[in-house]
Amino acid sequence: MLSNIEVDNLTVNYTAKNHSFTALEDVSFSIEAGEFVSIIGSSGCGKSTLLSILEGINTPTKGEIRIDGKPINGTGTDRGVVFQHYSLFPWMTARKNIAFGIKQVKKDLSKSERLNIADKFLDKVGLEEFKDKYPSQLSGGMQQRVAIARALAMNTDILLMDEPFGAIDAKNRTILQELLLKLWEGDGTQEKKTVVFVTHDIDEAILLSDRIIMMTANPGKVRKEIPVPFERPRNRSELVQTSEYGKFRNKLINLFYGDIAEKIGGNEVVL
Amino acid sequence: MTAKKRIIHLANILYLVFLLIQFIPNSLDGETYSLYTIVFASAIEVLVIVVSIFIKKEKGFHLFTDIVSFIYGFLILWTLLTEKFNVLRAALFPPMGKVFHQFIADFDKIVLNIGSSIGIVIEGYVLAAIIAIPLGLFLGWSIRLGSAATYVSKFLGAIPPIVYIPYGIALLPTFRSVSVFVIFLATFWPVLASTMSGVLNVEKEVIDSAKVLNVNKFTMLFSVILPSALPQIFIGCNQGLSVSFILLTSAEMIGARSGLGYYVKNYSDLGDYTRTIVGLLVIGVVVVAISFLFNKLQNHLLKWKR
Repeated sequence: MLSNIEVDNLTVNYTAKNHSFTALEDVSFSIEAGEFVSIIGSSGCGKSTLLSILEGINTPTKGEIRIDGKPINGTGTDRGVVFQHYSLFPWMTARKNIAFGIKQVKKDLSKSERLNIADKFLDKVGLEEFKDKYPSQLSGGMQQRVAIARALAMNTDILLMDEPFGAIDAKNRTILQELLLKLWEGDGTQEKKTVVFVTHDIDEAILLSDRIIMMTANPGKVRKEIPVPFERPRNRSELVQTSEYGKFRNKLINLFYGDIAEKIGGNEVVL
Repeated sequence: MTAKKRIIHLANILYLVFLLIQFIPNSLDGETYSLYTIVFASAIEVLVIVVSIFIKKEKGFHLFTDIVSFIYGFLILWTLLTEKFNVLRAALFPPMGKVFHQFIADFDKIVLNIGSSIGIVIEGYVLAAIIAIPLGLFLGWSIRLGSAATYVSKFLGAIPPIVYIPYGIALLPTFRSVSVFVIFLATFWPVLASTMSGVLNVEKEVIDSAKVLNVNKFTMLFSVILPSALPQIFIGCNQGLSVSFILLTSAEMIGARSGLGYYVKNYSDLGDYTRTIVGLLVIGVVVVAISFLFNKLQNHLLKWKR
């Protein structure tokens, strides 16, 4: 039932007027069914381009992505998406937004059934009182909660998240990360969704993922795939106090900024 | 708000002044129906009293009493200049009482004329909107057709619709159909143009988030692009509505046998300026009422915009 993802030799070239730009070059990796993978890298490494191809709104110049062995051709009901901005439709209330998403994947449900599911998921993200509010009446963090609730309510096998907390203040970002972690891990009885999570926040990637794929820019390539060695269920405050966490984090930071140091030609980077 | 502020304000003072000037003897011969004006002003005053008891917001109360003050001021001035001192020519400037009296006497006829005028506007306007909006959605969405259509609609929309009236008269069987036709044209082009530009201005992010939800073409057009473009569509609809009344009354003055424009034109031709003024005031009230309802509709449909 769950889906795996294979990214196979993906290359994306953009041609603008008289110069061409390689956003991704020969990117290959695979994601197992039920795995939570973060794609991390500095801006311009092509991580969002990669995700847009997975979403099906962008097409590669070369190579392909396969879901359960089948090449992606456009958008699909097997994937739910949360963007950084504008995931929600401003003219629909929170619950209508969710019900609209459900309608697209489950056409046989009645309107009241859809609204019931919407309410259930709004409850899960702690927004039941705000169900009749329009996005403009909600804070950025609340809007992202609704977007996550919609993606989960659509119950797709795969969840694609493109820097969903990138525009949220630090305190709310922490809360949202923990909420996502809790919802994804569940109570251990249900199957976990396959998640591809794009971010530039190292701590976020460690807390959430099973594996981190680090990318480098110009052209966008995979630099390294790093499994995250921490047990689940995870608890942020306990996790960050362990010395293993500090070591692992340092290793990632060295990889991340070593890349930049290489680019600017120096050995030392002041953090 | 203090009780003093609720009782002593310009509107109430002007109402008293208005009552006092009624004691000045009339210098105009014949019936002036002053009682009608007094009843009208007193009805407004009752409203003022009710509002001053129940209203909570001071700002809203000021706005209301200021508007009432204008009405009272106008009535006082008009009464003094006509029936009291006969400064203005009585044939051209009838006492307000006569206008009110005539309005009541002609009430049935006026209602029929309002019905006839509004019927034409609704027919032409609604027809234009229900054709122009889907067409604009479709043209705006298919980019190639859309850019050509933009130029065409710019050219055709630039022709003031009033100049179609003579051609319409030659073309169409009844005067009513000419009016509908002209209002249709006056609404069609601005609504088409604003719908197309609304569609072209829908943010890419909105389209993308609909695409990833896997919506079909119909849903994309009518559940995503239409509401997203609606604020801009309303700009065209507003423009069409305000032009519609200008055109309708113009058309009615040219050759119709009914409608508010006809009422005004007919009686001013006959030299009955009391009825002319009745017609003018009624047109004002009708247009304000329709704009008010239209604004309500717009605010309701766009309530998601802050």
